[in-house]
Amino acid sequence: MNTKRRRRRWRWETFLPYLLLAPALVLLAGMVYPFGLGLYYSLTNYWLQYPNRFRFIWFDNYVNLTSEPLFARALEFTLGFTLVAVVVQVGLGLAVALFLHARVPGRKVMRALMLLPLMMPPVITALMWKIMMASTNAGILNYLLSFLGVDPVNWFGSKQGAVVSILIIDTWGNLPFVSLILLGALQALPTEPYEAARVDGASPAAMLRYITLPLLSPFILLAVTFRTMDSLRIFDVIYATTMGGPDDATTNLQIMAYQYAFQWYQMGKGMAQTIVLLVLVVILSSVLMRLWNRAAASTAQ
Amino acid sequence: MRLQRQWLAGLLLAMLWTMGGLPSASAQDDAALAYYRQAKIDWRQAAGQTLTIGLNKHPFTESLLPLIPEFRRLTGINVEYLILPEAEYFTKLAADLSQQRGEFSVIMTGPMRNWQFVSADWIVPLDDFLNNPKLTDLSWYKLEDFYPALIAANRYSGKIGGGVGEGPIYSIPVLEESYILAYRKDIFDQYNIKVPTTIEEMAEAARLVKKNAGIPGIVARGTPSVASMGTGFISGLKSYTDGQWSELDAKLNANFHDPRSVKFTEAWINMVRESGPPNWANMQWYDAMEAFTAGQAGMIADADFFAAGYEDPTKSKVAGKVGYALIPAGPGGKTYAGLWTWALGINKAAKNKEAAWLFVEWATAQRTLLNATIGYRNYDPSRASIMNDPRVQEIMGAWGGGSYIKTVAKNLETARVAWTPQPERTRLGDIWARALQEIYFQRMSAADALKNADAEVDKVLKEAEIKP
Amino acid sequence: MTSQAMLRQRYLQKAAIAVGAVVLLLWTVFPFVWILLTSLKHPGDIISVPPKFVFTPTFDNYAALVIGEQHGQYSSTRPDFPLFFLNSMIISIGAVALSAAAGIPAAYALARFTFPLKNALAFVFMSFRFVPFIAFVIPLYLLYQQVGLYNTHTGLILAYQLITLPFTVWMLRSFFQEIPLEIQEAAKIDGCSWLGVLTRVILPLSMPGISVTVILGFMFSWNAFNYPLMLAGRQTFPVTVGAIQFISYEQVLWGQMAAATIVAAVPQLLLSLMVQKYIVRGLTMGAVR
Repeated sequence: MNTKRRRRRWRWETFLPYLLLAPALVLLAGMVYPFGLGLYYSLTNYWLQYPNRFRFIWFDNYVNLTSEPLFARALEFTLGFTLVAVVVQVGLGLAVALFLHARVPGRKVMRALMLLPLMMPPVITALMWKIMMASTNAGILNYLLSFLGVDPVNWFGSKQGAVVSILIIDTWGNLPFVSLILLGALQALPTEPYEAARVDGASPAAMLRYITLPLLSPFILLAVTFRTMDSLRIFDVIYATTMGGPDDATTNLQIMAYQYAFQWYQMGKGMAQTIVLLVLVVILSSVLMRLWNRAAASTAQ
Repeated sequence: MRLQRQWLAGLLLAMLWTMGGLPSASAQDDAALAYYRQAKIDWRQAAGQTLTIGLNKHPFTESLLPLIPEFRRLTGINVEYLILPEAEYFTKLAADLSQQRGEFSVIMTGPMRNWQFVSADWIVPLDDFLNNPKLTDLSWYKLEDFYPALIAANRYSGKIGGGVGEGPIYSIPVLEESYILAYRKDIFDQYNIKVPTTIEEMAEAARLVKKNAGIPGIVARGTPSVASMGTGFISGLKSYTDGQWSELDAKLNANFHDPRSVKFTEAWINMVRESGPPNWANMQWYDAMEAFTAGQAGMIADADFFAAGYEDPTKSKVAGKVGYALIPAGPGGKTYAGLWTWALGINKAAKNKEAAWLFVEWATAQRTLLNATIGYRNYDPSRASIMNDPRVQEIMGAWGGGSYIKTVAKNLETARVAWTPQPERTRLGDIWARALQEIYFQRMSAADALKNADAEVDKVLKEAEIKP
Repeated sequence: MTSQAMLRQRYLQKAAIAVGAVVLLLWTVFPFVWILLTSLKHPGDIISVPPKFVFTPTFDNYAALVIGEQHGQYSSTRPDFPLFFLNSMIISIGAVALSAAAGIPAAYALARFTFPLKNALAFVFMSFRFVPFIAFVIPLYLLYQQVGLYNTHTGLILAYQLITLPFTVWMLRSFFQEIPLEIQEAAKIDGCSWLGVLTRVILPLSMPGISVTVILGFMFSWNAFNYPLMLAGRQTFPVTVGAIQFISYEQVLWGQMAAATIVAAVPQLLLSLMVQKYIVRGLTMGAVR
């Protein structure tokens, strides 16, 4: 009698996690068909205005990428920008989170204000920064910088300026995201390790290094993962300001794919470039997630 | 209690207002529609149908919007419209046209875009509608009122490499856009700078303005896109070569490496680099236009009708200080500026083409276009009668102390569509613009950059099977 | 350390903190302030050089959003902006609600159960967020046209799951894992089933985390641009696409665009202020345990 009941409960309970996951999986499964279609197009020469010439061309699009000079430059920019942006944003985000976590006067107001950049769609943020940076439309930024003795910066008209502008705009928009996640994590940290450390006479720097950072590491990695995935595919900001220029200095793979697909209507090529970007993102993210799993497991102890 | 009643009244008003405006007096109605009822056609032959129109954000489309209820009363046709800025508009339009599902019945297009649409068989010729007495009263509509050059620009025989001005008409022009030089007369007078008649003089004038007045001597579009090539630059280049040079030769080979083209490009880029704004490489049409309007440039060679903005005292810092001249000519002494018209066309997949044509006919009728020009700054008019209307003459005649109207009239004598008809014109222009940026940032010499551009264009045209 | 040196150190610390606070404040708030100022300027003031801090303000730009009119020009019979605003609300709330409904059980499963394929499935969730939008947008556009989901709120809410669902699942999973196992065990001993553990223990304790996740998800939805550009028509455009309409052919209506940005940010501002209190309350609840 007992064994039968136990067996039935065992069978039902093993399915429970899958049942819980089911709704979410169903929603995402619906997206598999469009993705498959996109993948299929990447293996064709689909060119929007020449529908009669539609042919399956296997991996030609991918092979031809290597001989496309713009591809190498776009790849370099994609990776380079991501590295710099993630380091800057997570580093600053951590600093800001620690700052807001401390007993700083007015931090409640600050915390509320931190949400402001997140409220703005990146497209709009980019347009507004464009107003502030463009020197011929009453560039307020250069005007203010002139008071600090800085020469007017050619934000969008020079190659270096354009890259820095994108970085600044992207950081302004996403710093709150990192700060909020880390702040939330900081506030949920247990207090016992800190009390013990204070009793032992540890300095704030030591507490930071040996207690806070290790405990925060899963969340830092989470932030790094999200920011990496987003920086690799950054689009809205570039679209609204430089559109890949000047002289392709801010062209990343997503911008390049957009140009091929939506400006020149070469869907096959655009899809192939998108898939290459996807592969890149998958590789980097799986590495990061393995690190996250390890960090999450160790802090759970 | 009082507050409640006020609140209720406000709610009612808001409901009425959201539902399409408070009802207007019917006497006003009849006066407005009387003009259209003169046409000997049955406006109501497509009553009950619904049209969706794709429109580019533009003063013309702005002028149409308040009149749409008028159209509904006239014809019984319901109109839904979609308005987007130019880049997004063409992206969405291409997506719809390529699917041929007929989301948009009437579209805004123009000569160069038509080449792409016609080769892909996405739009229909309008001649059958024009010549159908049930749909069009030609004596009322007066097709001859449109400037012949504009109608010709919208005709296309479908031939690659030629055929503009021949064959069926694919869209009806709602405005004329050509390219002239606008300059700061006050600065030129103050420092005794000569109005340039050649590209070399233009570079010199720009240099002098920058030296003496401290502002960029020239401002121009610079983004790496076809939009930057087709206005002042190509007009200057065509003039420099007496209208003899084309970006594609008779065999459809790219021709950027032609020594005249190289020389002009060098002169232009040097001018922009030395005397232009630091952010030239990122300037879109509105950046250049706003810079000039804000008094931050000595010259601009771009769309003629930007003058409406320059001369608006409420928004412009240079109103009344601007002079207008032809874009510098070549050795032959003549200017060959480019030409563009926004125009209304009909989607091949439109399910109710008669209704679509009625809309086009109404929207391009004399009264509608006149209203667009006078009330909504839709310049320059595509109909001669509107251009010659005393009210329009008064407004435009004031610009540049009369120099605007004179310059535009002279310009139109020789202005032509500057591009070679083929479906990949956009792509070609983008490649060309990127080459200019390579030259500007001194990554390559002009000769090398343009030769590479040639090779890339040839590759694309071969890939598109436009040329063997 | 002498007491003088200690005092000096504390003053320096306070000064550094003050400077840090001011810099952070300026960095975060100044662009917003500038947009606010821009939205109150006449067109001539907006493009004047050097930029103006002092000017006569006008509410024309805001009026233009609602009435669709500015100086008698550019009037519309039907002002679109309120419609776009409503669309943004419907789509964002719908997307986040759907993600939460599907995401909470999914996150719970990933956080608290061990079962085969667990890490693989977690990776699958993340992977959907990897995909660049272009790979989805074109096929989705074609599919939606055929299935009739084009230009519908439902279609957009479903498409937005690509933005919100993976994020929701992963964030919630992290927060659920933070809840100590002992509490969960205690509840099980008290006789709670898995459902009871979820509703009576995990959800209440992770409310701060859930709030943050929902708010951020709402914001990501609100800010989406690429999907609605292609998948929505005029009736369903959200404010992001609506805002670029101010780039007209012969001028850019910066003032109106600025006003539209401010108005579009208001619901998110209110929402976050509301939930601010919730977060604080949730935290103090956690501290009391």
